[in-house]
Amino acid sequence: MLWKNTYNELLKIASKIRSYIGIGALTILVLIVIFAMKADGKTYLGFVTGSFEQTLSFNGNILNGNLIAFIIMQMLIVHVPLLIALVTGDLLSGESATGSIRMLATKPISRTGIVLSKWLAATLYTLIMTLWMGFLSLVVSQWIFGSGDLIVLNPDGLLIIPNSDLLWRFGFAMGLAFLALWTVATLSLAFSALAKNSVGPIVITMAVIILFTLIGTLDVTVFDEVKFYLFTTHMAAWRIVFEEPFPKQDILQSVGVLVGHIVGLLAFTLFYFNRKDITS
Amino acid sequence: MPLIEVSHLAKNFGSFNAVKDVSFHVNEGDVFGFLGPNGAGKSTTIRCLLSLIKPSAGNISFFGQSLSDHRSSVLSKVGCIIEKPDFYKYASAQRNLEIFGRISGKTIDRKQIEAMLEFVGLKGREKDKVAGFSHGMKQRLGIAQTLLHDPEIIILDEPTTGLDPQGIIDVRNLILRLRDEHKKTVLLSSHQLSEIEIIANRMVIINQGKTIVEGDVQALLEKQSLTLEVEVSNPEALHALFLAEFPSLKFEALYGNNFLIEMESDIRSRLIERMVSAGCGVRSMIPKRSLEDFFIKMVGA
Repeated sequence: MLWKNTYNELLKIASKIRSYIGIGALTILVLIVIFAMKADGKTYLGFVTGSFEQTLSFNGNILNGNLIAFIIMQMLIVHVPLLIALVTGDLLSGESATGSIRMLATKPISRTGIVLSKWLAATLYTLIMTLWMGFLSLVVSQWIFGSGDLIVLNPDGLLIIPNSDLLWRFGFAMGLAFLALWTVATLSLAFSALAKNSVGPIVITMAVIILFTLIGTLDVTVFDEVKFYLFTTHMAAWRIVFEEPFPKQDILQSVGVLVGHIVGLLAFTLFYFNRKDITS
Repeated sequence: MPLIEVSHLAKNFGSFNAVKDVSFHVNEGDVFGFLGPNGAGKSTTIRCLLSLIKPSAGNISFFGQSLSDHRSSVLSKVGCIIEKPDFYKYASAQRNLEIFGRISGKTIDRKQIEAMLEFVGLKGREKDKVAGFSHGMKQRLGIAQTLLHDPEIIILDEPTTGLDPQGIIDVRNLILRLRDEHKKTVLLSSHQLSEIEIIANRMVIINQGKTIVEGDVQALLEKQSLTLEVEVSNPEALHALFLAEFPSLKFEALYGNNFLIEMESDIRSRLIERMVSAGCGVRSMIPKRSLEDFFIKMVGA
């Protein structure tokens, strides 16, 4: 029954216009960045390399597909959560708003089955969005700008990663980006279980991301203890994949925090929805 | 063994007691009327029956099995419409039935869906999105969704709400067909008391969250005092007759030459005979023992 309803949930996602808004918006955003870099990428790159030009000389194709993919990932990690929440925040609350939850919950599928099938569908949608983001940023950028070594400006200085060492790093980074977006999807599903309209969970999810990001960036001692446990602190964990030496311990910690959030939020959603009286 | 048995059901929402003590049972083959004024607790009770709401106290069993312990197996044998059927508006009628059929507990193929759409008169509209359907069409699609997995029990909560007269007749005929041709057991909640009187064989009335009366519809109606509306051409003779021969009967002038007569036992034959011989000029005599009167008497409205 779980798989049958997961298939149903995927059908519902595929039938809604809002599901394509995310993919469409993502495509447009990436194409705008690619166009901007094609038109004026050298000026942009000048800001990054300018301070090093007295000590270093840069040869070869610096403005390449790998750099564009890296830039796109940095920019989109801010916007993609909204596009994910637009769909996943509607999964339970949308059914409450329209009343179809009554018909769904009177079928011989458990409440746990309903939540898990929606969560699995949300997971697949998030995975598709991440893969689409990866395809657009890496494949399309490589096709337009060609390949080459990646210049990364880290807090410690400038790091040049050879082209041959990049594919696995981008794969790893996409995996971590997926984990971060999966956390957002699970968070919005949890809010969706609480709400009776689909706007609330989307707005609250974004409000939580903004609030946690603010707490994470504020240089105030009182927040230092909690910063590590906020999922937003680890949403950019994919970036440390491009550091040397490879920060295995930091990545494991980020994975642990994000997985912990996913498990905790899913457990809360199951607990709440199983006890919820459906009165709408 | 009753197909549905509800005993001492209660549901509290915080300090508000929506259902206090509701008990009834539905036998196999019954068309069971579930009646009560607004706010009596009907919808809450029905939602408890379908596990949408968790009861605060009491027991619900279907086929002798506790609903809370055997939810999935019970619900696979139940079809329902709660208030109005709300479908996925962005999907077609056929897609909606596929979605609900897939999780009905039985294997439903496309031919069954097509046959069901034809049964409810939606053939030719199966590819249309539900967003463009009228209320009546949605109600018919709701009935298709209810019957798709061939349930043994059908629970209908206000199935005629918002329907035009023809729609109401269609639903009534459909329920009668389900009872007579398909031998289904139907629990029907409705404000249309005349509908219940026509199609239900048993009923329960609840008020303020409690069961007031339960039983066979005709037997319950026969238990109450009989009221007749009589029109005569000679009211003076009628007056004299009642004073002389029927002083214990309640006798009330209505309008013109029309009167209401209330009797504890059915003495219509003797009454007609005496009115004719007394020269009252009887024009009409209409029995007023209706479910509506019974309902109003029971709920004290």
